[in-house]
Amino acid sequence: MILRRARYEAAGRVVGPLLASLDAWRRRSRSRSRARAPRTSPFGPPLESVRKLKELMSVHYFQGRYAEGAVPVAWVTSGFPVEILRPLGFHAVYPENHAAICGVQRLVPALSDAAEAEGYSRDLCSYARTDLGSVITGRTPVGRLPRPDLLACCTNICQTVLYWYRALAERFRVPLVLVDTPYVYGEARPHHVRYVKDQLEELVQVAERVAGRRAEPEALVEVTRIAKEGSDLWAECLAQGMHRPAPWTAIDGFFHMAPIVSLRGTEACNAYYRLLRDELKERVRRGIGGLRDERHRLLWDNLPIWFAVRQLSTLLAERGFNFVCASYTNAWAEAGSRIDPSDPIGSAAAAYTHVILNQDLPNRLGILRRLARDYGVDGAILHSDRSCKPYSIGQIDLKDRLVSELGVRVLLLEADHSDPRAYATEQGENRLAAFMEGFA
Amino acid sequence: MSAVVAIGVDVGSTTCKAVAIDADGRILAHLVEPTDPRIEPQVERLVAGVRGEAGDLPLGATGYGRKRVEAGRVLTEITCHARGAFARTGRPGVVVDMGGQDTKVIRVGPGGEVVDFAMNDKCAAGTGRFLEVILGRLRVPLADVADVARRAARAVTVSSTCTVFAESEVISLVASGAPTEGIVKGLHLALASRVAALARGAVTAGAEVFMSGGVALNAAMASALQDALGHPVRVLPEPQLIGALGAALAVLPRAA
Amino acid sequence: MGAGLSDAHQRPYRRRRAHVVCSSGGATVTRKEYIARQRAEHGRKAVAVLPIHYPKELLTALDLLAVELWGPPGPPRGDAAGRLQTYVCALARNALAFLAAGGADAVDGVLFPHTCDSIQGLATLATDFGGWRKRAFTFLHPRGASRPSARAFLEAEMRSLAGGLEELAGRSLEPPRLTAALRLHAEIDAARAGLLDARPRLAMTDPELYALLRRGEWLWPEDHLAELRAARAAVKDRSVVQGVPVLVSGYVPEPIATLEVLNRAGAFVAADDYAAVGRRVVRAPLPGARAPEDPWALLLDRYWAAPPCPSRSADQGARVRHLEALAERSGPRGVLLHVLKFCEPELFDLPAIRKAFAGRGLPVLVIEGELEAELSAQAVTRIEAFVEMLSTGRAA
Repeated sequence: MILRRARYEAAGRVVGPLLASLDAWRRRSRSRSRARAPRTSPFGPPLESVRKLKELMSVHYFQGRYAEGAVPVAWVTSGFPVEILRPLGFHAVYPENHAAICGVQRLVPALSDAAEAEGYSRDLCSYARTDLGSVITGRTPVGRLPRPDLLACCTNICQTVLYWYRALAERFRVPLVLVDTPYVYGEARPHHVRYVKDQLEELVQVAERVAGRRAEPEALVEVTRIAKEGSDLWAECLAQGMHRPAPWTAIDGFFHMAPIVSLRGTEACNAYYRLLRDELKERVRRGIGGLRDERHRLLWDNLPIWFAVRQLSTLLAERGFNFVCASYTNAWAEAGSRIDPSDPIGSAAAAYTHVILNQDLPNRLGILRRLARDYGVDGAILHSDRSCKPYSIGQIDLKDRLVSELGVRVLLLEADHSDPRAYATEQGENRLAAFMEGFA
Repeated sequence: MSAVVAIGVDVGSTTCKAVAIDADGRILAHLVEPTDPRIEPQVERLVAGVRGEAGDLPLGATGYGRKRVEAGRVLTEITCHARGAFARTGRPGVVVDMGGQDTKVIRVGPGGEVVDFAMNDKCAAGTGRFLEVILGRLRVPLADVADVARRAARAVTVSSTCTVFAESEVISLVASGAPTEGIVKGLHLALASRVAALARGAVTAGAEVFMSGGVALNAAMASALQDALGHPVRVLPEPQLIGALGAALAVLPRAA
Repeated sequence: MGAGLSDAHQRPYRRRRAHVVCSSGGATVTRKEYIARQRAEHGRKAVAVLPIHYPKELLTALDLLAVELWGPPGPPRGDAAGRLQTYVCALARNALAFLAAGGADAVDGVLFPHTCDSIQGLATLATDFGGWRKRAFTFLHPRGASRPSARAFLEAEMRSLAGGLEELAGRSLEPPRLTAALRLHAEIDAARAGLLDARPRLAMTDPELYALLRRGEWLWPEDHLAELRAARAAVKDRSVVQGVPVLVSGYVPEPIATLEVLNRAGAFVAADDYAAVGRRVVRAPLPGARAPEDPWALLLDRYWAAPPCPSRSADQGARVRHLEALAERSGPRGVLLHVLKFCEPELFDLPAIRKAFAGRGLPVLVIEGELEAELSAQAVTRIEAFVEMLSTGRAA
């Protein structure tokens, strides 16, 4: 056990970073040695920070290979108040983040097939099918995912995660701690927030039992402080997009979002966002944009289309369209505003209850309106994500209101966040072309 | 000289089949026609056609239009394909029946009984219609399909999961210069992979896999399915008549 | 064509004026007329309720008529039909279209339980962005096991709902009335359980039985109890139902033709786990004949005592075990899972249910409905083939 723990720590602190740097060095020398014909890319120079991002995430997954048996492992939903688990030494795995990686690498159809062969309907969320398929086959692009000792599920992003994690609990036969966040219609009632707070206190006991140690209040305060700072730093990064030209694209944002989701509450996460923020501010100062020639500014709503994210952003960038903001990336900046280190559990209850997907449509419209105004957008693309009901329901009405109230042009694009079989490429690109033509 | 003792009709959505069998279950006469919307007169004509000189005989009916036939027994195509296949093979196995609008995978038990079955979902992309529509667009006659596919050096991937979208995808492929043979081969692979996904649960290590239904007459389809399943596939003799055969067997005098 | 189904039990929602909005049988009295009569003759207001779980006793105690909205079936009609994407379940799509088209104008309020993401979204869409202008209530039932946090929350939520309903009803909720309502609903549950458990001895077809049970979705509870009691006459002292017993689990028996085809093919529903029916039958008896001291405590207990439902449970194993116990009691030869397309809570449990029954040698058939007005020929074939399969071995 001690040996395994030592290996886990070494993987995270020494070996992982070493391998990541080696890999980055190899990639750099490969690209240098390759004879390249000059290509006119519509994008501005790539962010330097992205190297550090890759290293950070690679190390995290690399370390995960040695986590089983070394430290308690928790599989966590993206909206779960992970601050509660960090002081107990859990290695947190984010199946959603892992599924996004599978989406980018186009591994979802094969993994989903395995889940479908067991009887899971293709109409279910593609993240869940990917995760279940990975669990069933043992296949993963990140080397190895450690088995969970605890499943931590918060329904603030959707109810589907509960059905998914419930199935995982049956499969792995480990405890499932649930934070059931009542949906906010209008305003959250006191007894709703109290319910969430009570659940957090209850789950600490279960988590302590699994981790084999008690939670120290000071440690929780510290992690909460770090998480709040991380969220604020992320907000600063996103805010750079308000400048003209925006120094990066919201598509970059989707990738750079990984640490605030999966490494929230760690110093490594915050150090990274300081780096990124400084680079973005520098680019703003020097007038370097995410696009060479930013002519139109767009908002993206809903999850990204992981398997086509580069393709689509290039298509739009070639005509001068940049995504300067996204409701999805913004969600992680908003959460921080309610987090209060002087009341970790109480403030977590409030913060995690009020995430965008757990609040009603008027609230959603308000956020989209605010983003559209603050970032000066002239158009929006609402991704009608087949896999994500809570995000997609209401988009048709939201679209109408954005058009009539803000005078922005809006495209509703039907696709899926990670299953390419649900996206008709030709038809989608046709719609985008027509949308862009409307901006003459 | 054997006599006709029973008749079976399979009133499919695309074709209507009638067979006349003897006491040993051998098909003595058969007729196949595209299904007429006016089913009753068509069935009467086909039954008379296969009956020949014999008088009134027990009649079994199956297929989409089975309830419109005045038959002694009316059974679903699932049960009839299982019986018909078993009569031909005498062995348990998995029957993959690919019809015009429907694909079924049937697990047949040691006595010819249905152990389990699965059908494709409401969408046509896993059926013969998929091929028919797109081959029509490519102007490749159904009779030549197997040869065309065989000539292909490599398959051109057709990724759309919807028949309508696949049609436009194929048009783009042709416009961008992809060879027709490769596209035809790719279409078969796409269809085979969907059918294989349906069949995967039933096809265990030692299972025998048989093909029935009209689409089985297309040799390229059988071979594509074999590749997609990674398992040998045997096309039953007279695959298109298996359903009607099963229906006739169901009304054989003193049938088991 | 071809299917030859009688449409006595099925009136597709085709006309502008919804005639019968669920398969609760009989075209003689429409729900609209019934609601109007309840108001005129008894002064009762009505509240439309979306699926699934809600404290009906509260409405009864406040003399409010609950009118459940399971669809209605058929394609969504009217301007609002396109406001929800096609990958959202038919229940949410049809309900939005129905509300927006004025189909529920006969009622005074709508209650949206927090059943799933789709109904969650439907509630805000209809009340905030257009579709329903009168009073709207939400009931956010807790998910997961009966933890202390969940019990405290459920009580607070129920009291909060009661407060809102009191305003609508124009009266306060008196504890004796709540006690009486609890007693009434417990009797109804007992009567329903009685009919369901005596199925093999019940001289009714499945469509008849379900029509009767589903009338409880909109009848005043006392009227429903009277009908249930009258139906007891149909329970004989020996087995009268012929055919292959099948265990059915799913969302709602819509279209009812699903069960009609099952019956005609030679099978019958031996055990029920429909969300709309069996999963809401609480079998825990009320404690003693004397009025309980705290009707609220009893109300909460009955909520937790209901059979497991994926819309509020965090324990998949418990659900599977419940289904297995149902199978033990009723001896089915096969299992029919009648799910609603896109319904995540039901669909996620299918593999575990299949596996459990495969282990017991019970074949499983999944029929994915869309609250369609008529059963497709393909669905009919599947059900018939399934029953043919289950019938092998019996005398032809």
